[in-house]
Amino acid sequence: MIESTVTIVNKLGLHARAASKLVNCASSFSSEVWIRRGEREINGKSIMGVLTLAAGRGTELGLRAEGSDEEAAIATIMTLIADYFGEGE
Amino acid sequence: MTLALTGHAVSRGIAIGQAHLAERNELEIGEFRIQPENVDAEVNRLQEALHTATEQLELLSERVTRSAGTAASEMIQTHILMLGDSSIGDAAERRIREEFCNAEWALQSQLETILAEFRHMDDEYIRSRGEDVAQVIRMVQTELSKAGNDRIFDAIPDRLADTLVVTSELTPGELALLHERGVAGIVTEHGSPYSHAAILASSLGIPAVFGVRLAHSLLQEGENLILDGRLGVVYADPDEAFIEHYHDIERITSRFRKSLDEVRSKPAHSIDGETIVLQANAEREDEILLATELDADGVGLYRTEFLFLRGEAPDEETQLEEYLSAIKALSGKTLTIRTLDLGADKTSEALDFRLIRSSLNPALGLRAVRLCLRDTDLFKTQLRAILRASAAGKVRCLIPMLTSVHEILMVKALLQEARAELQTRGQAYDPLMQLGGMIEVPAAALAIEDLGHHLDFLSVGTNDLLQYSLAADRVDEQVAHLYDPLHPGMVRLMHYMFAACRETNMPVTVCGELAGDRRYTRLLLALGLRSFSMHPGRLLEVKQAIIETHAGRATEALNHWLKLGAQRQDVSLLRLLDQSQKAS
Repeated sequence: MIESTVTIVNKLGLHARAASKLVNCASSFSSEVWIRRGEREINGKSIMGVLTLAAGRGTELGLRAEGSDEEAAIATIMTLIADYFGEGE
Repeated sequence: MTLALTGHAVSRGIAIGQAHLAERNELEIGEFRIQPENVDAEVNRLQEALHTATEQLELLSERVTRSAGTAASEMIQTHILMLGDSSIGDAAERRIREEFCNAEWALQSQLETILAEFRHMDDEYIRSRGEDVAQVIRMVQTELSKAGNDRIFDAIPDRLADTLVVTSELTPGELALLHERGVAGIVTEHGSPYSHAAILASSLGIPAVFGVRLAHSLLQEGENLILDGRLGVVYADPDEAFIEHYHDIERITSRFRKSLDEVRSKPAHSIDGETIVLQANAEREDEILLATELDADGVGLYRTEFLFLRGEAPDEETQLEEYLSAIKALSGKTLTIRTLDLGADKTSEALDFRLIRSSLNPALGLRAVRLCLRDTDLFKTQLRAILRASAAGKVRCLIPMLTSVHEILMVKALLQEARAELQTRGQAYDPLMQLGGMIEVPAAALAIEDLGHHLDFLSVGTNDLLQYSLAADRVDEQVAHLYDPLHPGMVRLMHYMFAACRETNMPVTVCGELAGDRRYTRLLLALGLRSFSMHPGRLLEVKQAIIETHAGRATEALNHWLKLGAQRQDVSLLRLLDQSQKAS
C-alpha cells in the first residue's frame, strides 16, 4: 500500500468536471484508490464519493492506493491535481 | 394584460417569441414485491436499463460535442460516471436482493439516500449535484417503465427559432439538444442557478430563467413571451409597447456585442498605426482573469483598499498572499499595485482614522499618501509586501495623490528602509521595481515634469483631478453638472500634461473613468495619450473606438479647437473630433 497527501490547487476545486477527471484517472488503474478528507474516506473510483468530498481550492486530501499498480496510480493522480486538472487555473 | 413571473436569472440575454410547453410525463414509481425466484430477472432488468441509459448518454455526448461544445459533453460524461457508480447500480441491486422490491423502487429508495447526503453539503454548487443524480436515476426509471416518451423532444418542433421552451426541468443533454434546434429561450419550474443546465445555458448564450414556480400552469401554449435573462423575469402576453421596447434592446445589444466580438482578436492600433497600451483596473480575481482573457497589457491599477476595509489592518503576509495570487492570475503580465488610497470617502475601522474624521475638509485632508506618510508603520508593512511580491513577477508600485516632490522623496526613503529590512531578513525583492505616482492634484498636474523627474512612470486619476480642478463633487447633485471633462480648462490641463510627458519621455497612463468611457477615447487619443487603464469590462469597447480612430487627424482637429479662443464654446469638441475622421 502507498499513501500520500495532496492539496487541491485549481480555482474551482473538485467540481463536476475535475471530479470526473479524477474518477476516470483512478478507474484506469487496477489498484484500489481511496481519498480521505479529514475523517472521511471515499472510493476514488466513485463520482458520488469524490463530489461529496466537496473539496474546494486549498483542501488537503489524503490519497491511498493498494494493488499491483499502486505507485503509478498515486503518481498520476497527484500530477493531475497539481496540473489544475488541465484547466490552467 | 401583461403577466410577469420571476425566477433565477441564470443566463443573460433577451428572448422574444412564443411559448411551447414541453410536457414531461410524471413517472409513477410504485413499490412491488418480487418473488424470490424472480429476483435474478429483476436484477437483469435493472442492469439492462442502466446499460441502455448509458448507451443513450454516450451517443448524446458524442452528438452534442459538435453542436454545444466540450462543456456540454463533459457534463454528460459526469452523468455517465454517475450511472456507473456503485452507489446506484450495485446499491440498487442489493436492495432488490435483500428487500425483494422492484428495480424502479430500489432506485427510488437509493436516490433518497443519496439526495439526503447531498442536501447536507454546505457548498451550494455541490448540493446542486443532487439534481444530476435525480436526473440520471429518472432516466433509468423511464427506461424501466418503458414509458419511453419522457423525452420532452418528441412533441417539440425541429426548428425552435422564436420559440421559448417552458418545462419542469432540464438535463444538460436536453438543453444541448434544444440548442441544436435553435431554441430562443428557456423557462423552467425547477433547477437551481448551479444546475448543469443553467451553467450550460449561460455558456451557450441561451437566455434562460430557471425556477419559475408554476410556469407550466400560468403560461399558455403559443402565448407571446418576453424573457429578460438579466433580471430573471418572464413576461407573458406583453402589450405592443413592451414588445417594441425589448425588440429595440435586442437589436442594439446583439449588434453591439457582435461588433465587439470582432475587435477581440485585433491589436489596439489606430487607423494611422499608433499602438495603444490597454490595461485593466482590477482587484478581484474574476476581474483579473477577465483582463487576461481579453489580452489586456497587464493591470494598470490594482487597488489595495479592500484589504484594509475588512476590519483589522492586514499584516505583511496577508497582503503578500493577495498580491501573489493576483500575479499568478495575470500569467506574466505586469501588475501595478497602488498603495493604500484610504481617507475622505473611504474609511476603515482597521486604522486610526480619528485624524481624518477630525479634518475639516476630508477631500482636502489627510488621505492616501498623506495618511501613509503619517502612519509609516502601516505604510512600510505594505511596501515590504509589495517589494516581496516583486520577486515573484512583474510588479510596479504606484503612489496615489502626490502633491509635491518632497512626498516622493519621503516615499523613496521609506522604500529604502523597507528594502534594508528585507535584506536583513534575507527575503527577496526586485531591486529594479518601478515606482510611479498618481497625478490627481491640479498643482501636481501643472508640475508634472518636476514630479515625473523622480519617478519611473505616471498615472493620471481623472476622477479626482476633475473634481479638484472644477471644485465640484460629482456625487453632489446640486453641482454635478459642473463636473465636465470637456471644460476647456480640463482639456488644456490634460493637453499640457501629456505634452510634457511626451517631451520628457515619461510613460503616462490614464486610469480614471475617462479611460474606460468610449465617448472620450478619441479625445484622449487626440491629446496624445497612448496608454489607458480601465475596468476590464470596458476593454473591448475602448479598443473598438481606438481601431476606428485616426489619431493624427484627431490631434489636428483638437489643436484647431484649442486655438479658437472664445468661439470654442460654440463648437462641440467631440463632434469636431468625429468630423475630423472623415477628412480625406
